[in-house]
Amino acid sequence: MTAVITPPAAKPQTPAKRAGRRSGIAPPWLFAAPALVVYALVMLYPSIVGAGSAFTDWSGVGEQRSFVGLANFQQLIHDDQALGAIRNTLLLTAAIVVVQTGLGLLLALGVHTTIKSRMILRVIFFAPMVVSPVMVAFLWKYVYNPAPDAGLNAALNAVGLGALRQDWLGNPSIAIWSVAFTVIWQCAGYSMVIFLAGLEGVPQELHESAMVDGAGTAARFRHITWPLLAPALTINVMLSTVGGLTLFTQIIAMTNGGPGYATDTLSTVLYKQAFVFGKFGYSTAVALVLALFVAAVSFIQLAYLRSRETAA
Amino acid sequence: MASEIIRTPFSRRRLLQLMGGAAAAGALASCGGGNSSGGSSGPLKVIGAGSQEAGLRKALDEYKKQNGSFEFNLSFSPADQLQTALRAQLAAGNAPDLHAVYPGNGSAMSMVQLSKANLLADLSEQAWTQKIPAGFKGAYQQDGKTHIFSPGTSVLGAIYNKKAFAKAGVEIPTTWSELLTVCETLKKKGIIPLALGAQTPWVTQLINYALVPGTVYAKQPDFDDKMAAGSETFAGSGWADAMNKYLELQKRGFFNDNPNGTTYEQATSMVGTGKAAMAVQVSAVLQAYRAAAPSPDDLGMFPLPATDVAADNWIPGGIVVGLGVSAKSKKADEARKFLEFCGQPEQINAWAEAVACVPLYSEGEAKVDPVLKPFLPYLADDKAVPFMDQRWPNAEVQPTHFAVVQELLGGKTTVEGALKKMDDAYKKTA
Amino acid sequence: MRTRYRPRTFVLEIVMVALAVAFLFPVYALVTLAFKDPEQIANKPLSLPDPPSVGSFGTAWESASLSSALLNSTLITVASVLALIVLGSLAAYFLARKAGRLSYSLYILFLVGIILPFQLGMIPLYQLVNDLGLLGTYQGMILFYTGIQLPFTVFLYTGFIRSLPADYTNAALIDGASHLQAFVHVIFPLLRPITGTVLILNAVHIWNDFFTPLLYLGGSGRETVPVRVFAFVNEYTSDYGLVAAGLVLAALPILLVFLVLQRYVIRGFSSGLKG
Repeated sequence: MTAVITPPAAKPQTPAKRAGRRSGIAPPWLFAAPALVVYALVMLYPSIVGAGSAFTDWSGVGEQRSFVGLANFQQLIHDDQALGAIRNTLLLTAAIVVVQTGLGLLLALGVHTTIKSRMILRVIFFAPMVVSPVMVAFLWKYVYNPAPDAGLNAALNAVGLGALRQDWLGNPSIAIWSVAFTVIWQCAGYSMVIFLAGLEGVPQELHESAMVDGAGTAARFRHITWPLLAPALTINVMLSTVGGLTLFTQIIAMTNGGPGYATDTLSTVLYKQAFVFGKFGYSTAVALVLALFVAAVSFIQLAYLRSRETAA
Repeated sequence: MASEIIRTPFSRRRLLQLMGGAAAAGALASCGGGNSSGGSSGPLKVIGAGSQEAGLRKALDEYKKQNGSFEFNLSFSPADQLQTALRAQLAAGNAPDLHAVYPGNGSAMSMVQLSKANLLADLSEQAWTQKIPAGFKGAYQQDGKTHIFSPGTSVLGAIYNKKAFAKAGVEIPTTWSELLTVCETLKKKGIIPLALGAQTPWVTQLINYALVPGTVYAKQPDFDDKMAAGSETFAGSGWADAMNKYLELQKRGFFNDNPNGTTYEQATSMVGTGKAAMAVQVSAVLQAYRAAAPSPDDLGMFPLPATDVAADNWIPGGIVVGLGVSAKSKKADEARKFLEFCGQPEQINAWAEAVACVPLYSEGEAKVDPVLKPFLPYLADDKAVPFMDQRWPNAEVQPTHFAVVQELLGGKTTVEGALKKMDDAYKKTA
Repeated sequence: MRTRYRPRTFVLEIVMVALAVAFLFPVYALVTLAFKDPEQIANKPLSLPDPPSVGSFGTAWESASLSSALLNSTLITVASVLALIVLGSLAAYFLARKAGRLSYSLYILFLVGIILPFQLGMIPLYQLVNDLGLLGTYQGMILFYTGIQLPFTVFLYTGFIRSLPADYTNAALIDGASHLQAFVHVIFPLLRPITGTVLILNAVHIWNDFFTPLLYLGGSGRETVPVRVFAFVNEYTSDYGLVAAGLVLAALPILLVFLVLQRYVIRGFSSGLKG
């Protein structure tokens, strides 16, 4: 990613003769060895072994497993449930990326002003981020109680928006957006903080000289703030994309993929295949596809957003 | 398909044990903590199903009282966590000595699936296995060998709030038409006739399970065999009848609003408080319903009539989740001895009473939770059908059933479409 | 624009505060629930508890064994974060300073770990931890978190070190210091900002993780806070007041730490994301 968001304190005092001498005298390999050993042991080795079972029909328990070649991947192409899950994964991710980033930006702009409550508001908006996702899921499951006199429905009614009351998690057409909303509620503060760091880096003088030139708030945002926020936007989009694509805990704890298959995503499908259906081989095939998916999407996004940054 | 057997090199384990010893003895040793993966010494490790906690705890305590040196380490999980944690432990060859196993087939943690993978010890030598009634052999036995201990049968029917029935002036219905009339009367009195918490996946199946003994099995007792032989399908069978009746209850407004968004707990509290009059449930959850009511005596239970022909109204009665001895356990003998103890008539009766189920067998009069009395004649007359999933060939049919019922309730599919999905899942390999 | 409080600013203030109130609604619902008895929960779901009852908290604290869970969570989080800081910074120092294809490949290899879904290696890793005899132990969890979080940690550190000039260490090395001495005395102190980020991001993640401790610590008596709370919530699902009290109690420690350290936490979350 691009090097930008660094608080002033973190900026190294750059001596003049920096160029060309970045690497210096290299430390010995031994420095990387302990990390490499642990990483290989905990991530690389198990993932490779796990990926191997994508080509078998292993149930997840017992000794019986046969090599089945690409059969699991062929099955995936014809699996309505997995295809529906891919669609849901994309919808959920798109909703999270757009709304969370947008809301994060608005919140950041709102608290990056002279309003008196700005510090406490930052704390409030960010607080959900430090709470365990599984507990957030419990909380929202309670809030989404479909009874007209409970939770969110009661609150809507109390402020005169009774017409908006819904069966939040039970209506197959709404459930996925309810899940997305919970995630956005939890993470919007995170996006806000990243944008805030970007805003801190926008020089005040630019705004002042623009004001002297008679530029309005909107014009100043468009021509000064927005271009300079490009790196923060890149980070926000990348983080929320990966988060959305691999979202798991909140879905399992709130809807378990239901009603029907309405909130099943690649993560929940591969979990169910492994632990509920006893199809471990197939499950790892889905996991591999998910990994490639995440890699491809991140790569494309990064390439695009970076070109946008340099253009700006 | 089977062309090549992949085997794990046996030396890996030893190598890692050496490394692990070094790692554990190293910088982290001060953190304390022993090795819980079990050896031949130490306590018997038991993981039970949450719904059996009351009975299992009683049995373990009693056994310890009689065998002073016996030590156990007991933990419980609700169904889905149980599935995850136990599957991982089984996969790693690290199963607890004694763990929860579902009777029959139909889930990844079921007796048939696990014994096929050689993960369960044989219990056939034990005396109590001789008492298993012929109709229930399929729940306990695979290839003629018993692999699971379970204290008995739980039944499925309508749990009802007596005060709500009295308030509406209705009696227990004995036919499907009477049930509809009762619901209509309750509804007019402003009481929700049937509480349904279909947001909780396993609850979705219960109404169908209550209906198909009447719509399918009373007419075709060999339906499961025909399914297995491929000469029957869900589509076009009495299952369609059952699902249409399920939907009829919804169309007539007999459920609470938004059943798909309502959880099992919310439905429980509706019946407990009398806001709703009935819920179709298994007897194992009676304790939870009683806890939700002002007085436990407010609640009763009756068989849900599936048809208008009294003789056709069979009931679903299934062996409850039981315990199996891990085939790889170093303390298999101790675990077996404990199960042998549990199989004695007075122990089995105590356990069954604690979890409101009908004991597997009894000597003399069995002590049964009084609300189960209406179900006993059906069991005696062989008009009880095991829970349907116990005869399904793989672990995918049941979750598919959950999902299609939610889709039906959400108006996202038709009865034909739902049953076709179940047929497709049924045809998949185990 | 940053200096004056104008009528427009006041309008903005009102809007933002209203937003925060809406934002806090779920929290309000949960906290008031915890202070209500069953009768109030049934009849007045949204009002303030009147009179408030605190009985649920004691029961929840006891039933969920939260005191030992807090200890378990603290131990595992602190040890894992320390291991990550040490291993991650050392490796990143090497990766950032060693030129050549091999070290670049190694860097990419670490980055791959960021996108690998954890489910892929879950079962083999579980077998491995079992074979090491570390199931149900603190050590097993610490090893797990160190490995799982290393890619992100290495990524953060490497990006930061690359932006540092090499001259400091070179000077120290010329003065006769060993590489390790140069790292400990010269480089590591310069890494303080990014170390803060590494510490906070990893600590929040590890403290809140649910699935792995459920798998690795379930039934061991060393369960962390989210696992205990989850089990507790499942056991008392129909007793909303009790469940709410359990959730409040479990979230309280981390929220308190957050409130005390909020400036550093918020800065930590944002400042390291570069590279």
